[in-house]
Amino acid sequence: MSAATTLRATYPRLIRGAGRPVSAVGALGDHVLFYARSLAATPFAATRYRREVIRLIAEISMGAGTLAMIGGTVVIVGFLTLATGGVLAVQGYSSLGNIGIEALTGFLAAFINVRISAPIVAGIGLAATFGAGVTAQLGAMRINEEIDALESMGIRPIEYLVSTRIVAGMIAITPLYSIAVILSFLASQFTTVVLLGQSGGLYAHYFDTFLNPIDLLWSFLQAVLMALAILFIHTYYGYFATGGPAGVGVAVGTAVRTSLVVVVSVTLLISLAVYGANGNFNLSG
Amino acid sequence: MTRAAVDAPMRAVGGLFAMSVDAAKFVFVRPFQWRELLDQSWFIARVALAPTLLVAIPFTVLVSFTLNILLRELGAADLSGAGAAFGAVTQVGPLVTVLIVAGAGATAMCADLGSRTIREEIDALEVLGINPVQRLVTPRMLASALVAFLLNGLVCIIGIMGGYFFSVLVQDVNPGAFAAGITLLTGVPELIISCVKATLFGLIAGLVACYRGLTITGGGAKAVGNAVNETVVFAFMALFVVNVVVTAIGIQMTSS
Repeated sequence: MSAATTLRATYPRLIRGAGRPVSAVGALGDHVLFYARSLAATPFAATRYRREVIRLIAEISMGAGTLAMIGGTVVIVGFLTLATGGVLAVQGYSSLGNIGIEALTGFLAAFINVRISAPIVAGIGLAATFGAGVTAQLGAMRINEEIDALESMGIRPIEYLVSTRIVAGMIAITPLYSIAVILSFLASQFTTVVLLGQSGGLYAHYFDTFLNPIDLLWSFLQAVLMALAILFIHTYYGYFATGGPAGVGVAVGTAVRTSLVVVVSVTLLISLAVYGANGNFNLSG
Repeated sequence: MTRAAVDAPMRAVGGLFAMSVDAAKFVFVRPFQWRELLDQSWFIARVALAPTLLVAIPFTVLVSFTLNILLRELGAADLSGAGAAFGAVTQVGPLVTVLIVAGAGATAMCADLGSRTIREEIDALEVLGINPVQRLVTPRMLASALVAFLLNGLVCIIGIMGGYFFSVLVQDVNPGAFAAGITLLTGVPELIISCVKATLFGLIAGLVACYRGLTITGGGAKAVGNAVNETVVFAFMALFVVNVVVTAIGIQMTSS
């Protein structure tokens, strides 16, 4: 018996504690390898599995199962951004009213919706709907050994299951995010003008003045990168689910937790990278 | 839309309400499951703590970064303490709590209950004459509310402290002015609204998770996965609506 085995048997907790950083880095490496493989396979998936990609685009935007009954991802993401736009208007109108500048609510809607709330809320909606759905599907396939069956039939599982979803997600995200942004604008405007009774022209003036098209483009970049990160995370946890039916539930939970953190971090990092510490913003025009 | 398409969601909503009423009733029926409450609180807290920290810190930095840009442009950078505290207590605290309670706590709870349901442990409980709502749902609902309430406090503290460090160290705001501004817009009423919001969120997320976990139809891996997926979606939708309503009510009450 070697010295290492003896040590391991004598101090099992110590050795496990010392090994934890190593295994964490190892897990990170597994993630990166998986992401790289699935990303590298996207051209293959886009050309060979075109019909599957089209089916997945429909499934991603309209949802599957019970979620399709209430309108799928489009309706859910739209609903969440609608609610957020409403809160923003209510809170902004009241807070700005405290210092006597509630006229600037339109400006707040153009600024905060584009820079913070629409990307984050859309990202969260995507993670909850198509992200969690993908994990549940792939996890069930893994547990039912359907992925092994694909392999033994000579179909490349990562290309067929993961890369096709990434391609479909990237195609579906732009229209989805457009709907989300438009709805958040409409909700802010409706709340301010109709419910809180501000004059429509006043709102429109400040909104139009401060709605920066370049900011809007950056906001789309945020959404696309976020969708990519969400798809990576959720396919990973689904593809490597273990532990029977209960394991699928756990995998979905873990994936949602991870992608929440990632959504916020991606938004922050891109904001800092794009706008810099000084904000690239001029109130005076 | 066919009748069946309307029927199923309505039935689910009705079932959720019926179970909520039962769960609320059993809060006052003895014996109360203190042990389960404690276990579940610990379980949710353990699952939710790391994501809370990891979501709250970037979110805070993002909000105070954007607010400071605005305030500096208005020539009021000294007010960034007021902005950070107000943002943290009224919006960021409850919003991050929603994300964590629904995204982390409810998913874990639903996965746990769902796997028990498909292993027919719930049926076994009923055979033994134990009411699963009293034994499992009521403590989980309360545990979720309790943890949400506590997490909200944590997020508010992180929000103000994160805002301080980011504003003072990165964006060169005067530290004294920041500290003086904290209490300018944020008082006890705002804090109470924030706590009420968080507790409500926890309660609702816990109920949705328990309902979806207990009503899994059909066995198999796919059913559990779908249940967790639907839990997240429905919890988010419910909580965002509640957020709008409670924000509006809170503003009405504090302004009058």
